[in-house]
Amino acid sequence: MHEVPKSGVLVHDPNVCAGCGVCEVMCSLYHEGVLGPALARSHVVRHPFTAEHGHNVCRQCSSPSCYFACPLKDKAMCVDEKTGATYVDEDECTGCRMCIDACPFDPPRIRINAEKNVAFKCDLCKGRAGGPVCVEYCSFQALKFVSKDARR
Amino acid sequence: MRRVLFVSGFEVRVKGCEAIDVAKPCGWAGKVLQVDLTDETVNKVPTTNYRPEKFIGGVGLSAKIFWELGCPKVGAFDPGNPLIISVGPLTGTYGPFGRGEVCAISPQCYPDELFTYSGFGGMFPAEMKHAGYDSIVVLGKAEKPAYLSIRDEDVEIKDADGLWGVDTFEAQRVLMSDEPEASVLVIGPAGENLSRVAVILNETKFAAGQGGFGAVMGSKNLKAISVRGTGVVAVAKPDKVLELTRAIVEENKKMYWLRSMFQTPYTAPQETKDVFAQRYFKKHYGCYGCPLQCHSIHDIPGMGLSGVSCANWLYAPKFSLDPKEIWEANVLSQRLGINTFEGMVGLPFLLAISLEAGILSRKEIEEDIGLPTPRWLGGTATNHEFLTVLLDKIADGESPFADGAARFTEYFGKKLVSGEKLVDLYKEMYTARGYAFHHVDNLGSALHWATDTRDPVDSCHEYKLNSPESMEHFGLPSYGSYQIVDLNKTVYEGAERVAAWVQDNQCLKNSLPVCEFWSMITSFYKPPEMDLRVFESRLLSAVTGLDMDVDELAKAGERIWNLRRAIMVKREDRTRESDTLNEPYFKKAIKCLAGIATGLVNGPIDKAKFEALKDRYYELRGWDANTGWPTRAKLEELGLKDVADELASNGKLP
Repeated sequence: MHEVPKSGVLVHDPNVCAGCGVCEVMCSLYHEGVLGPALARSHVVRHPFTAEHGHNVCRQCSSPSCYFACPLKDKAMCVDEKTGATYVDEDECTGCRMCIDACPFDPPRIRINAEKNVAFKCDLCKGRAGGPVCVEYCSFQALKFVSKDARR
Repeated sequence: MRRVLFVSGFEVRVKGCEAIDVAKPCGWAGKVLQVDLTDETVNKVPTTNYRPEKFIGGVGLSAKIFWELGCPKVGAFDPGNPLIISVGPLTGTYGPFGRGEVCAISPQCYPDELFTYSGFGGMFPAEMKHAGYDSIVVLGKAEKPAYLSIRDEDVEIKDADGLWGVDTFEAQRVLMSDEPEASVLVIGPAGENLSRVAVILNETKFAAGQGGFGAVMGSKNLKAISVRGTGVVAVAKPDKVLELTRAIVEENKKMYWLRSMFQTPYTAPQETKDVFAQRYFKKHYGCYGCPLQCHSIHDIPGMGLSGVSCANWLYAPKFSLDPKEIWEANVLSQRLGINTFEGMVGLPFLLAISLEAGILSRKEIEEDIGLPTPRWLGGTATNHEFLTVLLDKIADGESPFADGAARFTEYFGKKLVSGEKLVDLYKEMYTARGYAFHHVDNLGSALHWATDTRDPVDSCHEYKLNSPESMEHFGLPSYGSYQIVDLNKTVYEGAERVAAWVQDNQCLKNSLPVCEFWSMITSFYKPPEMDLRVFESRLLSAVTGLDMDVDELAKAGERIWNLRRAIMVKREDRTRESDTLNEPYFKKAIKCLAGIATGLVNGPIDKAKFEALKDRYYELRGWDANTGWPTRAKLEELGLKDVADELASNGKLP
């Protein structure tokens, strides 16, 4: 089997998350140049009457089934050597959705950008100097980036 | 670079403007949704029909829509009263912009029901924008209880039989069990029963509070509006927006003290605050996309969880210092859908001060008014007994309490022996048009109150918080103090310039929109390094692609204020004479004031000097001093020729 390096990951703390959606706003703005959770990789699941908010984002699996399911592995679904995160190369992705079917989480942490017909997912803001934009802008430190070395 | 932009037949010149793409505009969601509950029809029109590059959004867009509807001369509870909910081009951007505005003919305004506005935050405004709408206009009246279900393009009027009579929290839970990611605007029993102090609520805390718009929804048999948006809003220059967000991150850190202040009952002693901070505080809470989250969520076991900020705490200290009683007042108000400023502060204060001043006796309160006398009024009733009776009476729609303090005192003014004195007291505590005293701190704010349709200070705390440096920065006369000042000591000279500037700025705030909580601090925080007007123009330009400089933005604010004035003149026969405050403000020192301002002495305002101030204000505004009406020259200068023509045909152009 193809050797995949361990990846860094985003960790969410529901105890301090205010459910404000700043992570969604900044994610969609940084990655897509638009505003709205529909094209954000980082997703708040709000529960206003309990104030216990959840958060859905790619868990960056150690054995990423999305990566193995991709017919264009290493071209469309790739692994970032620096962080270990799986990411989608939009120029290569054909929108076949095999990665989405393979994602073990519900809801799947990969979705389809209908306009471009390509899959999109969290790539831990590949190449961004300050690391993941959602972590940087979360004013409650509800999102933390755990590097691949620190990840147990 | 100047380009000519053609929008639905109008020729609009916008400096350096890239044309707004009607199909896919940047910043604006693109559509105005019009729903008629009587005919059960749904219509969508491009937002560009309403010239958003001139009226921006929020109150500006709503005023434009109301104007195009002909400013109907109907009552607040008439099906022809349009309930207009608008967001702005910055709504949903990172920062203090997650707000919307409700505009309609208001049942709270007194004695006449005026077209006015009330802002609200929360999740609904951004969700509505993600669904594709800059504005939702609801007309007509449903045959039976209904709610509006919006999921992107799909808009349905649905049966709300099972939700009528259900409190605001529970109704949202039911609607969200069908559509978990929806955001809901809802009314409680108060709105259903046409209480004139009923709110429209989103989640636990985000309310369009002043204006009594909950009752407008109730009059339409409209229990709720549920919206789910799965779209996105395009941004013209994402990189520029990203760059500008850096400044917001920095400003946010300077705001923590204000958030902390309102985290616990700030008017109560430290012990009470500590109980909330240590035992009941759960987390911070606020609008979509805002890093501050200025509200707080507390949870008292057995009483439930709710959000709170400034006015929600004001049951303390006068009425109770018991944390559970303070909390009960808040949660009950929110669940019943009552304006906390009226239900917790206004009416209880009116009763308390009436009793203290010997205007009302305990017997009158108990037998004639029908309230149990609480301990803080020297009686034996617990706060729970008092509150449940009072708030239930406000929510039931039947008792005089349900009509708000103005109509309550009018009713008992005729009925009670000491009624006249009660009316006099009301007029001191309520500054104008049925709205309770709120920072009538100097001649600038007094003039603003006199020329608006409601308590304006919710979105212009500048009057309270200005500093000599910031006033100087904006080229305005200084009051020389941060603090609330005695009206006697305030200079009349130059107050017209302050009021006009703040009014235009307020129109911008409520249209872009920008949160009052931020702008009241940041715009005056160390100018010119952080001049909010400059920042707003840069951000608006980056989001929309329109090149709106500071002057263009200021012009837009002035245009919106003039359009609002034109609505007052056309629909409400507004004249110079009606630009005033309740008469006690000109006769005596006002010391019986609602809320935290109790004990301050304000006034009296010198009537002759105030009239001279109004002369200068009308001149500065380019309005006619005899009538108080905007002139053709001013309206045309602002690109409002159609408004001038319409006023002329109504015989209301000087």
